[in-house]
Amino acid sequence: MIRVSNLIKSANGTRILRGVSFEVPPQTVLGIIGASGSGKTTLLRCLNGLDRISDGSIACAGVHLDATLSKKEYSRRLTELRRRVGTVFQHLYLFPHLTVLGNIIEAPTHVLRVPRKNAETEALQLLESVGLKEKAGRYPERLSGGEQQRVAIARALAMHPEILMFDEPTSALDPKRTASLRTLLRGFVEKGHTMVIVSHSIGFLEGLADQLLYMEGGEVVEFGDADEILKSPRDPRTKDFLEQAK
Amino acid sequence: MAWLLLVSVARAQQPLRWGADPSGGAPYVFNDPSHPDQYIGYEKEMVDALAAALGRKAEFVPSDWETLVSALQRKSFEVIINGLEPTADRQKQIQFSKPYYIFQLALTVRKDDERIHSLADCKDKVVGTLGNTAASRLLQKEGVPFKVYAEPPTAYRDLEFKRIDAVIMDVPAEVFYVSKKSTTLKRACDPFFRGTYNIGLRKGDDELKTQIDSAIDKIINDGTFEKILRKWGLWNDAQLELQSKAKPEQQNIDVAYDVTSSTFNWREAVWRLARAAVVTVLIAFGSMFIALIVGMPLAIGQWKGPRIVQWLCTIYVEFFRGTPVLVQLLFLYFGLPTIGVAMPGWLTALIGLGLNYAAYESQVYRAALEAIPRGQWEASYLLGMSPLLAFRRIILPQAFRIALPPMTNDFVSLFKDTSTAFAISVWELATAYRELANASGQFLMLGVAVSLYYLAMSLPMAHLARRLERKLQRREAIEAVESEVG
Repeated sequence: MIRVSNLIKSANGTRILRGVSFEVPPQTVLGIIGASGSGKTTLLRCLNGLDRISDGSIACAGVHLDATLSKKEYSRRLTELRRRVGTVFQHLYLFPHLTVLGNIIEAPTHVLRVPRKNAETEALQLLESVGLKEKAGRYPERLSGGEQQRVAIARALAMHPEILMFDEPTSALDPKRTASLRTLLRGFVEKGHTMVIVSHSIGFLEGLADQLLYMEGGEVVEFGDADEILKSPRDPRTKDFLEQAK
Repeated sequence: MAWLLLVSVARAQQPLRWGADPSGGAPYVFNDPSHPDQYIGYEKEMVDALAAALGRKAEFVPSDWETLVSALQRKSFEVIINGLEPTADRQKQIQFSKPYYIFQLALTVRKDDERIHSLADCKDKVVGTLGNTAASRLLQKEGVPFKVYAEPPTAYRDLEFKRIDAVIMDVPAEVFYVSKKSTTLKRACDPFFRGTYNIGLRKGDDELKTQIDSAIDKIINDGTFEKILRKWGLWNDAQLELQSKAKPEQQNIDVAYDVTSSTFNWREAVWRLARAAVVTVLIAFGSMFIALIVGMPLAIGQWKGPRIVQWLCTIYVEFFRGTPVLVQLLFLYFGLPTIGVAMPGWLTALIGLGLNYAAYESQVYRAALEAIPRGQWEASYLLGMSPLLAFRRIILPQAFRIALPPMTNDFVSLFKDTSTAFAISVWELATAYRELANASGQFLMLGVAVSLYYLAMSLPMAHLARRLERKLQRREAIEAVESEVG
């Protein structure tokens, strides 16, 4: 589960997040929507532990972060948080010097110290589940954008994350590949994964997200059940955004 | 007839251009310490006297000892007057006047040294001397290990620093640098050996040779030269021999060159070059190793270190990049011993070049590390990696790929920069070429041989580096082909 209260994030004197609060139960898919610069990616970077929070607190994947913690303790918990969430970046950041298989087993073998054989077996299973088993020996550059994304997903899953996070997963995909990604993610939902998906594509989130969070100017404008918000948004700003998005 | 007369008059009015090496050239010819733009020396005074006898003016052309013979042949000057001995090798290339001075050799040791009393005591010691001289040939013949210097002062300084055990030098130089002023060095025994100094001329300049020979006779017999020698403390009874009336031809036969003469021995030369090549390789690899190791903390310090570390690394880099490597080597070799750190030449070259190239490598590393997108770090962190693990497993391998081509380039130029070790008397390949070629005149063939040595060393390296680069970049190549086809 995720609980965020009064989260403030400032960088270079400007507040990017101005007091964000919400709570998501486990095994839920949270969709975060909003225009560019609304702070949705920053929120994601706070949730997965890449950015340090300026004020407030976050409880995510069983790790509690509080801006008042000592620097040392904060860093310790940050490391823990990063290990418990898996993130698929918009630009993926696959490791170009490693093969597909190498990308996936790198962290399990060196961070979790799983024996190489076991890690490889599991990685091949993961690749099979994303339909890329036969490309295990290739280098990322030789894969298509959609294939690269599925490698990134498999790489994140190999660390058995409690929460899976996506930043703009559809930005580089054509409609056909978007649909197949949706099918893949729906499979994860059925297996009980908790997911956070930052996206500007309402169509992609429709029927996938359980809850929606609409952000504007670093604040939460509307948060609640996805179907309800999509059907009848309460705030006029949400309504405007949804209409423009269509 | 009148025309010929005119030509010879015109020639007579031209100054007599003479070549010698004034660097460390005392007491022959050297910069006057109190008037650094003037040259002094007993040979300088002798040339003035000779020129006066010829009715010409003397004009000094400062040159380099090792290249004197080739410079004469290139007509940089008309005569060599630099304590030159008529060896068989040189006589193949140039001709010699009659002798003007009879020299002996002096063996110098440290004042407190009681081990060495003759050359025979030096068999297991290292003796310093100048390259391509009677002394160096004598040492070679006697099988005494020796080290070649470009100038007497550096040899004597190394003796004081205990880098070598003794120095053997022509008496005139020894008189000037040791007997007259040194408090820490002494003669190991009385001067020994007998050789002559003659004036070197181009083959075919027979008219000039006749004139010079009679001018030498004149200044020796009228006491002018004796006065000069006495002034410089170089007069001894041995010189009386030259005042006798023996015919010039006879004189040449009398003088015992055979002890010192050397004809060019190709097999030995190739062998010596091979030894020099080994030194070159050791210095190049050793210093590259140091550069690669030291460069890394420098790069990281300058890139991510605290402000003060960044500053220190930047100062290091700018210092070593901003001053010539030659100056750095001279400083390490001659400067450090005064504060008690005396390293042998090869080690100085190895460390000096290593520290110098570390500055360059650090910049190669830094550029490569900075070229890796931040997302690679973030992706590693989010997979639970520590910064160190991310650096080692993810960032470094990618940076290495970027850094490899410039590193290969640097290694090739480091390879060539090993030749600067010449300045600190390291007998590496370039030094060997210069020395052997000047001794024999075989610039062309030795040049080919030396080039082959360099290529034999650098080509396999370049090949290896290219293969590694190709291996690392093959994927991009395939990618490019595929996208072209697609």
